[in-house]
Amino acid sequence: MEIFDSDFREIFSSQVVSIIGGLIAGTILAIYTDQILLIPGMLILLPGFLEMRGNISGSSAARLTSGLFLGIIKPNKFRTKVIKGNMLASFALAIAVSLVLGIIIFLFNFFALHAFTLKIILLPLIAGIIANAIEIPMAIFVTFYLFRKGHDPNNIMGPFVTSTGDIVSIVALLISMVII
Amino acid sequence: MRAVRKHLEKLRKIERRRYHPLIHKIHKKHKISKKTLFYVKEYGPHSNVPRTIIKESIKILLLASLISSLGGLALEHIKLIFLSIMPLIILLPTLNDMAGDYGTIFSSKFSTMLYEGKIEKIWKKDMKLRKLFAQIFLIAMITTVFSLVISMLVSYLSGYSIAIDIVFKLLFVVIIDIALLVSILFLISLFAGLHFYRKKEDPNNFLIPITTSVADFGNIIILTLLILMIF
Repeated sequence: MEIFDSDFREIFSSQVVSIIGGLIAGTILAIYTDQILLIPGMLILLPGFLEMRGNISGSSAARLTSGLFLGIIKPNKFRTKVIKGNMLASFALAIAVSLVLGIIIFLFNFFALHAFTLKIILLPLIAGIIANAIEIPMAIFVTFYLFRKGHDPNNIMGPFVTSTGDIVSIVALLISMVII
Repeated sequence: MRAVRKHLEKLRKIERRRYHPLIHKIHKKHKISKKTLFYVKEYGPHSNVPRTIIKESIKILLLASLISSLGGLALEHIKLIFLSIMPLIILLPTLNDMAGDYGTIFSSKFSTMLYEGKIEKIWKKDMKLRKLFAQIFLIAMITTVFSLVISMLVSYLSGYSIAIDIVFKLLFVVIIDIALLVSILFLISLFAGLHFYRKKEDPNNFLIPITTSVADFGNIIILTLLILMIF
């Protein structure tokens, strides 16, 4: 049983990329612990908020990659119905999920801590809009770029979206806090 | 060409409830791949692309967010201990990513193995399965220790003093967390994959959502329990 084969190397390298992004995001989180994590309910919000980016942008990249491989989407044409539809749907989904996450932490604060913090709903909502305004176009652009360069975006976009998504999400949360 | 277009238009108008026999018919008659036909049906010229995507994704996305929030609730319960250990804060996004990634790798690799007929009837003796588990387990251990070292280094450079007993406690917590998760995810992929495959359903459609949800939720629950026990 040979363990150190090409599969091992591929999985290992993609994991290294993924954990580097996670560690950068974690470091930002640790530096701004006072600002981010001391807000009541933030630890409830955080796992879902970080996961959302991978779920939405990752699926969007996978859908576009399928279209590119099937020849239905042309690698040089950006302004097509499918791409615009994907972007619009991804934004709408991100707003819906952010709103639900905001409502969850509002309800937690209201019932568990007896604090009426309506403003807290805006926190993931604004952060979700900022993060997705960066992450969705970037994911689409990188998918097309990789395809044009002859790579299979399916092999690269997973770790790319999770690692960049974590960093973008934490920074967006910080910006959102400053705005609110 | 006209006949093909006519058939594709007909295909596009069918409600997406189940796999329609027309896909098979057009595939046989015009030699168009089933994947292309499916893509045309979902995102063809007259379809409402955003509506289709939102309709199909919203439920699973909201469910995934709710499950993650439940995990977050457990973490909120141990907030004070958690926030006092800087390397754990740094590790949180990494551990979450890792757990989800291993769930996806197990699911997709095992589904492919099933389709290729590579799994022996007595799966306990299957060498390919043993190899897959050994590879993922080893990678998980190496990346976990690597992440912990980096997180402690960053903490130390930021002025956080790390006592030797904290180092061993942290090492124990993250190693047990990831080792348990990898084993649970492997068993879920195995049993659920075999179950759906025997029911003549595509394991890909079920395994990835199941394993990633279990990974995200399980990671935070196991981590919370271990922190409560050790610190």
